[in-house]
Amino acid sequence: MEKTTAASLRHIIPDSQLNEWEREELIEQLTVYDPRLRQAVLEQIAIIWPVSHSLCFAFIGQLRQGLDCLEEKQLPEWVKGILAAYEAGGLQAARHYMSDVENNFLCRLRGESGLLFAAARGKLAHYVRGISGRGLQIEAAPIVATDTATIFLPREISFYQDNSENFQVYKLLATYQWGFISRDLYCQKHGALSLPGKEAEGDDALERYFRSFGNQALAQDMYHLLQTVRVSGFLQAEFPGLMRDLRPFFALLRVSRPDFQTLSGVNYLFEQARHWLLGYLGDDRTINIDGHLAEILAAARRNEASSADLLAAAADWYRFCSADDQSYAPLPPLLFQGEFRPREAHGARLARRANARQKFIEALAAILPPASAPDSTESEEEEPQPPAANVVEKGATISPLPPAKAGKNEAEFPQTAEPRFICLDDERIALPEELRELAREIEEDLGGLPSFYISSASQKAGGRTSGRIKGPRQDDGQPLQGELLYNEWDFRRQGFRQDWCRLILKKVHPVKGTFVSSTLEKYRGQIMQLKRQFEMMRTQHLFVGRQRDGDDVDLDALIEAHADVRAGMVPSERLFIRLLRDKRDIAALFLVDMSSSTEGWVGTALKESLVLLSEALDSLGDRYAIYGFSGMRRTRSEVYHVKGFDEPYSEEIRGRIAAIAPIDYTRMGPPIRHFTGVLAKVDAKVRLLIILTDGKPEDYDDYKGEYAIEDTRHALIEAKAAGIHPFCITIDREAQDYMGHMLGEINYTFIDDVRKLPLRVPEIYRMLTS
Amino acid sequence: MVTHSQKIEEHFIAEKPFYLPQKNELPVALAAYANGLPLLLKGPTGSGKSRFMQFLAWTLKRPLITVSCHDDLSTSDLVGRYLIRGGETFWVDGPMTLAVRHGAICYLDEVVEARKDTTVVIHPLADDRRQLAIEKRGELLTAPKEFMLAVSYNPGYQSVLKDMKQSTRQRFVALELNYPDPGLEEKIVCHEAGIDEQLARSLVRIAAMTRGLKDAGLQEGASTRLLVHAGLLVREGILPRDACHVTITQALTDDDELVGAIDEMISSVL
Repeated sequence: MEKTTAASLRHIIPDSQLNEWEREELIEQLTVYDPRLRQAVLEQIAIIWPVSHSLCFAFIGQLRQGLDCLEEKQLPEWVKGILAAYEAGGLQAARHYMSDVENNFLCRLRGESGLLFAAARGKLAHYVRGISGRGLQIEAAPIVATDTATIFLPREISFYQDNSENFQVYKLLATYQWGFISRDLYCQKHGALSLPGKEAEGDDALERYFRSFGNQALAQDMYHLLQTVRVSGFLQAEFPGLMRDLRPFFALLRVSRPDFQTLSGVNYLFEQARHWLLGYLGDDRTINIDGHLAEILAAARRNEASSADLLAAAADWYRFCSADDQSYAPLPPLLFQGEFRPREAHGARLARRANARQKFIEALAAILPPASAPDSTESEEEEPQPPAANVVEKGATISPLPPAKAGKNEAEFPQTAEPRFICLDDERIALPEELRELAREIEEDLGGLPSFYISSASQKAGGRTSGRIKGPRQDDGQPLQGELLYNEWDFRRQGFRQDWCRLILKKVHPVKGTFVSSTLEKYRGQIMQLKRQFEMMRTQHLFVGRQRDGDDVDLDALIEAHADVRAGMVPSERLFIRLLRDKRDIAALFLVDMSSSTEGWVGTALKESLVLLSEALDSLGDRYAIYGFSGMRRTRSEVYHVKGFDEPYSEEIRGRIAAIAPIDYTRMGPPIRHFTGVLAKVDAKVRLLIILTDGKPEDYDDYKGEYAIEDTRHALIEAKAAGIHPFCITIDREAQDYMGHMLGEINYTFIDDVRKLPLRVPEIYRMLTS
Repeated sequence: MVTHSQKIEEHFIAEKPFYLPQKNELPVALAAYANGLPLLLKGPTGSGKSRFMQFLAWTLKRPLITVSCHDDLSTSDLVGRYLIRGGETFWVDGPMTLAVRHGAICYLDEVVEARKDTTVVIHPLADDRRQLAIEKRGELLTAPKEFMLAVSYNPGYQSVLKDMKQSTRQRFVALELNYPDPGLEEKIVCHEAGIDEQLARSLVRIAAMTRGLKDAGLQEGASTRLLVHAGLLVREGILPRDACHVTITQALTDDDELVGAIDEMISSVL
């Protein structure tokens, strides 16, 4: 019997890979199992050995213990788990996984594991976006916290057997963290924290404030707890349903907290307050707090308490406990409360501030008249260094309404505090909606609009005429030779650079591979559904009446004709109804971004969406073409022929779609102009140019920033003028400001989740053309 | 066969419709009316466009003739047609002709849905000619000064087949009716559904949340109309969460994740 085992093992592990004595040891370990089981184990060894030899030894070492609770048929599944753990976290993780069969494997098999963040993410992200009204991100992390830009949530929640209840816990955590942001936990609203000393960039006033306490951790925890009390009150008012649903959860949390009766001093007070809060949230009013702490907590619960009030209350509480502040032994915070991270929050705030500054300056520069700055060469240098950011100077102001124009209208509308006008050199400029919002955001942050924001913008605006943007001049500017030359729009001179770009047509050579077939397999169900949906669009039989000839008599027309005869008029000859099949006279050209930024997921999703789209369009019968574009510099703007209008969707085309790959840069102007020309020659009632891209246009040379956006915008306007409907599908994490400007408000859609792209593209097409 | 009511009296609005102005739409509309300018109402569905027209008609004490446009609505549906009865033909005025004859307000709801050939009759009526040619009768009507043409459309639709031509839109005084401000919307929902302020406030909060999802998968957020529907169901005794699920969540999307997320918002607030 040992001999057969040895032979099988030798088959799996050749002599060259294993010492004789190691082999003997292995065989010895295997012979304890009965032959059938041994065979099963050997099969698994064959799987593990090529992955890692040491993992294989570890596996055999742990096998005995594992088999105590595993059945033979569960073995392959378990090995899969081990390999997954190994691939994710190396040998250590795999060992850990093997060591606890019960918790890591069996309970999952029984469906007892908790809800993973990855599973909850989709729904939760929408939820968070909905309640916050902005693009707040969520991410998995070892702690619960927020830096005011992202909410960090645990990787898994397994309080309950039922995952829908676990989801409620996720929801609670996210809602609480959003509550902290909305109630300004980190005192980021201007004026929330009025402390002596100037704020310097990189240094957080809040952190500095807490450093002034003898025991910083205690003061912070006190403040954080008081904020939690306040946010709880806020959430009970705003989200009564959630807080009601989760009462049992609060009770559960309370049971798992240490008993405060066993603690003393400040620790006692702290834990008692936590118990009180949980009891209060779980609708259990049996814990009574009296004395000074009760007053502090009651004050914190008031809705109108501000973060500054709570800082004061925390200081008060701290003084109250200061006698034994050094005996404070922090216990873990409440789960939904999470960690207090002032530094991270400050970092996020600075990033947001810089972002808002840049956006504001760019957006404002776009609407300011360009003539306001002198034409100077010095302006090529960097913008002036911003002074300390929270200094709001006089000079340029933003006012809610023009003070001089206080007329009759004003009395009729409620005056909002929104800044609507900007005063610059006694000139009043009305702010568009987005800018107003940005200005409000900045005012909320800094308490006003720093004047250098406006001066930078006006300089930037002035710079337009002074050729501040470098680049084109570095280019030799030599005329190009060739057939496909296209103009490029230069917004600075409000005119075209003649024959500026050379376009090169290239073929895509089809590749043989599994991409298309695996895509078809992956989306089989959805493709069937898509086809059905698209077929319904096609087979919408349409009877058109009043035709000179047709399948049937048009009764309406006939009656009218009779009536006309009776009335003494010449009757119409159009008396027939015809069944019109090809009513959809649509030609669509898909232009796919093949820039290097699409490498990876985005590129794969783009290709998948092309496959799905082609399948769907094939069943619909609309004419369509697919081209890719990329290139480098104005001399080499390339378009790649994937499918022409007249080519049928064939194996060859599938191969070409699979061959689409990221190449160079995104110069959008020339391909748009080229295909505008191509589409204009196509005989169709509706001509669509659908561009799939993953972000801003950009090339290796000067083609970037405002110049690129303006050129692309102009190219799209040219397309529109030629009677073509351009539409842009943009993949980005969030909607960018430039999109509306560049693409036209209703001529684009953006997709924030690449995974959705393949199914969204056909859907968008359907929406566009029905 | 389509038959339109011949009696213009039926189109008068007897009771004052409930309408709370969002901005300056009423004075603007009245000024447009006084000068014979046609009106274009832009705005998402359920934001009060039709209700505003009713209110305007009531204010002006003019009959309101509303035509809901669909993709098979042709010129003769608007102008009128001959019918046959007992071997005799007789002419029936279409809604637009009726409105022109009686100096009523003619409101074409979702005008972009109508067939393109309708522009032939809309254009001369919408500019300073204010004429309606009834080709089949060889008649040319000039609209009295009481007549007003109003159209509405929803700019949120992205279909290229349903875009409004410049030549059409540049004839109109355009009023944008968006979703009302929260305070105002609360009052509207309260009044229309007959529910208490607390519930109305929660519904408005839910609507605001769904509107935040507009770019993230939803084509449009919950309209005021949906909130009123939800409120009405609640008043009939349906549980608030169920009422919102059937009126708001399911009306907005079919996407499972979004359905789940919206339901979670509802269960948080209610």
